[in-house]
Amino acid sequence: MKRRQGWLFFIIFLLTLSVYLLINYPLQLGLDLQGGSQLTLQIIKEEGKVTRDELEAVNSVIDKRVNNLGVSESNLQTLGGDQLILELPGEQNPLVASRVLGKTALLEFRTQKEGTSTDLKILQLQRLSIKELIEQYSFAEKSQNDDNLLKIIQDDLKEIEQELNYSSNSNDLYGKLIEIKKNVNKEITNLFIKTDLSGKDLINAGRRQEQTNSNWEVLLTFSNSGGEKFAEITKSIAGTNQLLAIILDGESISEASVGNQFASTGITGGSATISGNFSAENARELEVQLKGGSLPLPIEIVETNTIGALLGSKNILKSLYAAISGLIFVGLFMIFNYRILGFVSILSLVLYGFFNLALYSLIPVTLTLPAISGLILSIGMAVDANILIFERIRDELYDGNTLTRSIDIGFQRANSSIVDGHITTLLSCFVLFLLGTNFVKGFAATLGIGVLISLFTSLNCSKTILRFFTTYQFLRQKNLYLTRNNFLN
Amino acid sequence: MKYNLELIKNKRKIIGFSTVLVLFSLLGILFSTFNTSYKKPINLGMDFVGGNELRIERVCEAECSNFSPDSVLEKLREISKNKNILNNVKLQFQNNNKLISIRTPYLSIEESNNLISNLDNIVGPLNYESKDSRLIGPKLGKRLLTNCVTSLFVSLFAISLYITIRFDKKYALFALLALFHDLLIVFGIFSWLGIILSVEVNSLFAVSLLTIAGYSVNDTVVIFDRIRENLKSKKEGYNETIQLSVNESLRRTTFTSITTIIPLLSIILFGSYSLFWFSLALSLGIIVGSYSSILLAPSFLLKD
Repeated sequence: MKRRQGWLFFIIFLLTLSVYLLINYPLQLGLDLQGGSQLTLQIIKEEGKVTRDELEAVNSVIDKRVNNLGVSESNLQTLGGDQLILELPGEQNPLVASRVLGKTALLEFRTQKEGTSTDLKILQLQRLSIKELIEQYSFAEKSQNDDNLLKIIQDDLKEIEQELNYSSNSNDLYGKLIEIKKNVNKEITNLFIKTDLSGKDLINAGRRQEQTNSNWEVLLTFSNSGGEKFAEITKSIAGTNQLLAIILDGESISEASVGNQFASTGITGGSATISGNFSAENARELEVQLKGGSLPLPIEIVETNTIGALLGSKNILKSLYAAISGLIFVGLFMIFNYRILGFVSILSLVLYGFFNLALYSLIPVTLTLPAISGLILSIGMAVDANILIFERIRDELYDGNTLTRSIDIGFQRANSSIVDGHITTLLSCFVLFLLGTNFVKGFAATLGIGVLISLFTSLNCSKTILRFFTTYQFLRQKNLYLTRNNFLN
Repeated sequence: MKYNLELIKNKRKIIGFSTVLVLFSLLGILFSTFNTSYKKPINLGMDFVGGNELRIERVCEAECSNFSPDSVLEKLREISKNKNILNNVKLQFQNNNKLISIRTPYLSIEESNNLISNLDNIVGPLNYESKDSRLIGPKLGKRLLTNCVTSLFVSLFAISLYITIRFDKKYALFALLALFHDLLIVFGIFSWLGIILSVEVNSLFAVSLLTIAGYSVNDTVVIFDRIRENLKSKKEGYNETIQLSVNESLRRTTFTSITTIIPLLSIILFGSYSLFWFSLALSLGIIVGSYSSILLAPSFLLKD
């Protein structure tokens, strides 16, 4: 009896601890409960597996970019060796993040091959006409899809395609325009030779509005060695008709000549500007990408989930209703069938709930809809253990045993079935947790934690509470433990 | 015990009933596999094939005006830049025209945003706070599918291994037979649901199958435990002892199913729509699982 009292105090202590934890470390809500966006980024590697180092390198670049973007309370974590998950809580548009994160942002400086001036001029002209076509296209769209204009754009595009000897794969006109523009930029890149100056030589990037027009330009600041390399390169082509191209992800974004006055020293000072007709938005995106450095491996955004804040709070309410009504009806069912024992199971269920939630805030487990359904489902499993025990106790009571003895034997004999059942469920949870997606992991975690805790609450807490009850004479009448109704007797 | 389930007399009926259920499920799976629009044993949802799913509410005073989905789609095609994204689109109005749900093939975030603003122009204003949007690339979908199938097989293997170690061969075999019976029937029911109501299965369905597996084995194990225990202290014949053991565990098994189904029912009734089919699959699994643990698995043990 003394030992049981010790347990009683221990349980009360755990309960107090749980309440303390829950007050001081509030539960983390997932995006489906608080609203927000979640992006899954897949690292693309043609051959072999993504190594740990590569994963970390990608992670750090993405992390820098996210920070430079200034999204608040974002959360970045790796998943399964070659994926990253970025969470943007609240009403933040995932579009900007996706544009900035998706690009490799490999910056290169190249010098023009000799004797390619004519080729370059033709390509530059083509690029100009495509840009005009794109402008015309958006104008045509605004004016209720002006069919004549669209027809002209289409014909012009065909001409350019023939000149380029390239046919686009896109199905719609806008896609075609963008594709051809990219292709021209790549062709231009081919006219230039690589140098040893790249995005790695940058220490900072910035942006400002051009003085002459409303366009924006991006400012680059080189490291010491980068500045020297830049001076070297500009010196080598100064005064010639060779140009310097700034290339981003294989596409030339700007080509510039270096004046004769730099022929002796090159451009010194360790900085440069890229003026490629940037809008304020584009300039900012490039700035963020350059600050974060280029990605060692390309990534692709493979999944985007967005949940509005209102829907999130609705989901919380719905889950609360479901959990509470589930608890109430299970409680009623237990009291109806097991009387005092049913009451004991309700008390141990309440303990069960508190211990679970406290562990969630301690580990921490982020509450999502699947996680909550795991918790709700585990209520049923926790009650199952109680039912197994109570049935045994009833059997013993029917056989004419005393109350104390029946309780002892009941707990003893139900043990093996309970442990067996819990192990099979734990096996499933374990596999789910190892192989499942982020979404599924939440379910597996809460169900698994629930199953473990229910071993403690049903075997130990129920017993302690029951023992405590039976110390009172008026709670020891057998008819409080046996139902008179004949349902499945 | 006072309650008496006549297992011995009804052995043939029980096995016959289960055979019918299994055939019914197999038929659903076959139909679905040869159905021209799915060509899969079950109607795979967006999680597995990729795509874009958007649900958003309209802001309406009192009642929302009526739109026919076809006319909305037509207007969408008129004003959209990229016409192709609007092939193979499903658009529905629910909740008295308040809720729009639309499914398209995979879109980029930008295209999806365009789609929403176009929708806003046609049926707006929309309540962006109520937005629920999911974009899944086809690559990820394939990966999720392999992940789910692997987890299913790995955990079935783990459970089988555990049962074989824990029990005699005969018991283990029958427990597993009952388990596959349960899973097959739930799977089959969802194949049928896919054909009739175009219900799709996503990764949560795989989770429910796994949970059902754990649960169903648990139920069977409890009854087999009781049978073993009673056979040791044998007072009556072999068949009678089995029947007695089933009757002794009957209350526990039904009660457990009831207390597990009650919370699931509350999720079905009050919970978020995204958990509806998941909870339904679980409930079905628990019902079939209890049936197979009480009636089918012990019937396998009976001698003629």
